[in-house]
Amino acid sequence: MKIKLNRRAMIAMGVAAPALLRTSWARAASELRVMAWQGYADDDWVKEFQEQTGITAQVVFIGTDDEIWAKIKGSEGKDFDVFAVNTAQLQRYIDGGLTTPHDLAKLPNQKNVLPRFQDLAQIKGIMRDGKVHAIPFCFDSIGLIYDKAKVSPAPDSFTILWDPKYKGKVLAYDNGEHNFSFTALTLGFPDPFNLSAEQMGQIKAKLSELKQNVLSFYTTPDEALQLYKSNDVALIWANYGQQQVKAMKDAGADIGYVNPKEGALAWLDTWAMTSGVQDKDAAEAWVNFLLQKKIGEQLSERTGFGNTVAETGSANPNDKLVWLEFVEDPTKRSDLWNEVKAQP
Amino acid sequence: MLFVGDRQAKGWRIAISVLAYGLPFLFIVAPLLSFLTYSFFWVEGGQMHYDLTWRNYSRFFTDAIFIPVLWQTCLLCLAVAVLAALLGYPVAFRLATLSGRRKYILLMLVLVPLLMSYIIKIYAIRSILGGNGFLNRFLVWANLIDQPLTLFVFNLNAVLLTLTVLLIPFAILPIFLSLERIPKNLIEASTDLGASNWQTFCRVILPLSLPGVVTAASFVFVLAIGDFLTPQMVGGPNGFTFGRIIYSQFGAAFNWPFGAALSVILALVMSVVIALGRRFERQT
Repeated sequence: MKIKLNRRAMIAMGVAAPALLRTSWARAASELRVMAWQGYADDDWVKEFQEQTGITAQVVFIGTDDEIWAKIKGSEGKDFDVFAVNTAQLQRYIDGGLTTPHDLAKLPNQKNVLPRFQDLAQIKGIMRDGKVHAIPFCFDSIGLIYDKAKVSPAPDSFTILWDPKYKGKVLAYDNGEHNFSFTALTLGFPDPFNLSAEQMGQIKAKLSELKQNVLSFYTTPDEALQLYKSNDVALIWANYGQQQVKAMKDAGADIGYVNPKEGALAWLDTWAMTSGVQDKDAAEAWVNFLLQKKIGEQLSERTGFGNTVAETGSANPNDKLVWLEFVEDPTKRSDLWNEVKAQP
Repeated sequence: MLFVGDRQAKGWRIAISVLAYGLPFLFIVAPLLSFLTYSFFWVEGGQMHYDLTWRNYSRFFTDAIFIPVLWQTCLLCLAVAVLAALLGYPVAFRLATLSGRRKYILLMLVLVPLLMSYIIKIYAIRSILGGNGFLNRFLVWANLIDQPLTLFVFNLNAVLLTLTVLLIPFAILPIFLSLERIPKNLIEASTDLGASNWQTFCRVILPLSLPGVVTAASFVFVLAIGDFLTPQMVGGPNGFTFGRIIYSQFGAAFNWPFGAALSVILALVMSVVIALGRRFERQT
């Protein structure tokens, strides 16, 4: 996700700063300091939250994972109460003691989430030592986009990317890390984020085969769309998931989206409380508020991403999603990926 | 005010010298030195180590992929340089023979593409070259071919073509300048002595403009070999070049030291090409 502060957010912050000064010495407890991605704390939600609970959420929007880390780690968790973070990134916050576990009794709405998110112990990375360090909120999968006119019936497996029938009609993503992970899933390796040297060798050979089928490797959604428009493209490994689907449909493409049966990689953003949380109840009220069905639907409608409460195009109920984790050695994967690309 | 007194004038001179030497040092030499220094650090498991080592350079020579890719890239850029010089020469020649306002209007037209963003030009070329791109649609429409050609779709040919198109202005300018510098009386003398136009061109103009051609070719070569964006955008799976390897070291691989070492090697290749070009110029 790369969303920068927009004008609305800037204005909101400008208005919020004096308000913070005024109220902070009168009613300190009713302030909640939120750090979020754009789209995770929209103005109408903040307003409604205040009407319902009397708590004013002061939202700061961030643009990169590193920015979250700099702000949370920089103040040792004291500058914010609650923040949005993905499950892979979350680990270093838990390691550093920068989070406060959630009390599920304070989050009644978590009982109504989609089956996939019901058992938090099943979601790798958010629990540690029996405590829930973060609550899933927003996600998207990295599945396959296919052109309905050219691929029929709809594909159900990543192996279709290797099908000689689609030679020169496949767009893949130019990134060693993800390509090794998804090929590991395709080959049936149990842990795609921790590969042995032997597994990496097998994947490298498999990716060299994939290269023969690929028209081009893309890096941005725009680029993929442009390639699709001016070439005969049947299949796209969709690194940007629903964002890409929406852009292509807006451009008039007749496409479908599937999460193949081997399991699709997926990112998952969560809400975590900082170690410096001032009013734990207020923070949990905020998370509970956002777990409403109405909010989830609005989130998906506005951003295109999946939410944890209402079903969306990101995934069907039975789709297998594999939450992204840090990989064993990104440098190694990138080197091997270069070798794949350098082969004739 | 500048020359009020000796002491003040001296002060100004020192200040200007500091600027004249200081700015290039600060913005050119110092970054290059830091680059050079980085190339001796190393990375393991995503962690940068700051002790000095030759391992990045030895990896370049021992790993099987780097030298072939560099060699292939050099050949590609050589082809781009030759093509750009060959195509640029007639244009430069025509420019030099024009006079007055028409010359400068045409010169401006040649330079206009340089005002456009590089990315936009590549995107435009991509939609011309694609499988359903303008070129293929035109050829099919004109009944010259039945099936869209894949000759220029995301491979080294596409990189060659795109780089040549993008860099031709850089070839035209030096050739034009060298043609401009040829004294008119030499050409008149040649004609007076009974040489045909073709003979004048072959015996007088061409030899005298060769240094410009060499400058143009080495200029284009250096620009082409440093480019990673064009191969990335139109090279597809098989148009892999040295620039793309360097680029990947800074992004995905997070191996800055190795990327820096590869850049130093590339800079050496460029220096050799420039030196060869200059030597050739002096000989002629």
